[in-house]
Amino acid sequence: MPSRPDLVRRVSAACALTAAAGLAALAWSSTLLGEYSVMTMGPAGALGRGHAGHDAEAGSGAAAGSTSVTELVADPLRKPDVRIRLVAGSQTIDVPGGHPFQGYTVNGTSPGPTIRARQGDLVEAVFVNESVGAGATLHWHGMDVPNAADGVAGITQDAVPVGGQHTYRFVAEDPGTYWYHSHQLSHEQVERGLLGAVVVEPAVPSPNGGSTEALALLHVYGGQHTLNGRALDEHVPAEPGSTVRIRVINTDQGTASVWSAAPFRVAAIDGREVKAPAVIQDRSVLVPAGGRVDITMQAPAHGAARLNVGGARSIFIGSMTGDEPGARQPSATLDFLAYGSPAPLGFEAASPDRTFDYTIGRRPGVIDGRPGNFWTINGRLYPDAPMFNVRQGDVVLMHLRNESGEVHPMHLHGHHVLVLSRDGIPAKGSPWWIDSLDIHPGESYDVAFVADNPGIWTDHCHTLEHAVDGLVAHVMYEGITTPFTINGRAGNHPE
Amino acid sequence: MRRIYAVLAWIVAGGVVVQAASIAFALGGIAHFVQEGGVIDKALVESRQAVFTGELGFPIHGIVGGMVIPAAALLLLILSFFVKYQRTHLRGARLWAGVVFALVALQATLGYSIADMPYLGLIHGANALAVLVAAIHAALRTRPTAAARVARLASPNAVTT
Repeated sequence: MPSRPDLVRRVSAACALTAAAGLAALAWSSTLLGEYSVMTMGPAGALGRGHAGHDAEAGSGAAAGSTSVTELVADPLRKPDVRIRLVAGSQTIDVPGGHPFQGYTVNGTSPGPTIRARQGDLVEAVFVNESVGAGATLHWHGMDVPNAADGVAGITQDAVPVGGQHTYRFVAEDPGTYWYHSHQLSHEQVERGLLGAVVVEPAVPSPNGGSTEALALLHVYGGQHTLNGRALDEHVPAEPGSTVRIRVINTDQGTASVWSAAPFRVAAIDGREVKAPAVIQDRSVLVPAGGRVDITMQAPAHGAARLNVGGARSIFIGSMTGDEPGARQPSATLDFLAYGSPAPLGFEAASPDRTFDYTIGRRPGVIDGRPGNFWTINGRLYPDAPMFNVRQGDVVLMHLRNESGEVHPMHLHGHHVLVLSRDGIPAKGSPWWIDSLDIHPGESYDVAFVADNPGIWTDHCHTLEHAVDGLVAHVMYEGITTPFTINGRAGNHPE
Repeated sequence: MRRIYAVLAWIVAGGVVVQAASIAFALGGIAHFVQEGGVIDKALVESRQAVFTGELGFPIHGIVGGMVIPAAALLLLILSFFVKYQRTHLRGARLWAGVVFALVALQATLGYSIADMPYLGLIHGANALAVLVAAIHAALRTRPTAAARVARLASPNAVTT
């Protein structure tokens, strides 16, 4: 029988433990997100700084909404120039040259069919979910589509359930190389193959040339590096001396390298032509996750030139002799900051209407009841990430800074962004327009864009697991609202 | 308390052995994978779909080095303020727990910085041995004979049992 003081001590200890457990449970449950709208995201208080010194409204859906994202559509009366039906399924993917992989397909294959359009065409894609259990969407990566067609579950639409369908309509305004992928549970559905390429042909031929074309869509299926869905190299027949354009699309989660022993040029970056691209030798070109580059190469007089795309695959251009030598990967990389020739920007980047910081860090915490070492934006954990509120027509300057230890390929939806400087060094080459930008540890970039596409746009890391772990913020236009929610009955989980 | 102190010190020492084994296993697996024509790049790493023998070595190295050993070293340091031998503080317990903790902190910092500065790997490997030796020394000090000797040296007139 314990003594009275012992009993008091034990009861006190039990009470203290119970209280501590209760407080811990309370703290944990306070991190549960439940059903929420992106409209409620962002800390209260000013985030954007206007050039006249006034602070921009920010956070908590501060802007009184009057237009729903569902109203931001392409001309509904216009007949489509390109119409395609895309059926998503969950099935075994045949990987020629490799082993089969259980993943997701579009029209029975992964990558899905390549969508080809002419500049100015209205594209109508009817998306049907045949058997992707968690629902799916299509996001048009790099294409500045109307917001209603952006395909982000829980922000611009509900995830399409099995048996459902959704129609995407947009004008392919900018020629270039793009891709589409699911933005519902994207970290899982993109990795498992729910994706395909989009090529928009220019109305006027590009001065950078490339009469013969080939796609080089890179994707890892179950540990197998593939090129256009095949774990094999490819051959592009071409007349000696002719210029071939290789459209490299990095659909993976990390940076891809492109290099060759033969001279080549980067004709376009993220769907924007480079002005006067110089010949590249002894340099690797790095393509961020989600990014694209168009490479132009001349077929040699004899044999074939080899272009290494990604770490594992190659494209041979010309006439194969079977004796094409490999090339050691150059350790030096091409710096797009000083590549090509300057050209007019088309807007006044030097006097922005809004200035935002987007500083990436990392710290332990709990998100939605899940403990972990999460990414932070401006020191804050998701969903307390900043909301970048803008007005239509604003010139927006963003300071991107990576204070974490890993590379982050940052991707802003619905806009192309101009790189102004890196670590304070101004860009001096061809205007470097991007939609996917690798920011290495310790680097900082100043980028600018014109807010000319109203909506609510995700601005996130395209190493998609990082987005799951909190590396996602949004650009929200004044007066725009969304009826869609995340984590709710519709089962929307965009990341 | 003395026993727990020893167990924690042995966990740190054993952890170092696991670290050496796991990273050798992983690097051996990579060498084999590459030899067989496999390619490792950022795309493969971020896909988390790498499938080669020894792949398990990396998460083991990360979990043991990033969590298990630092946690054991921290607990060892906290415990060192309470560990006693014959109702007096065990001499050197705090010092050696502090040394272990400092070396582990250095080791973790080096480990997380290797990707930025590969030369730090040279110190990381050598410092692992220092952690091992310091942890074993801390553990052995708690043995009754060693503790008694330490107590005798500290107080020549003390009566030991």
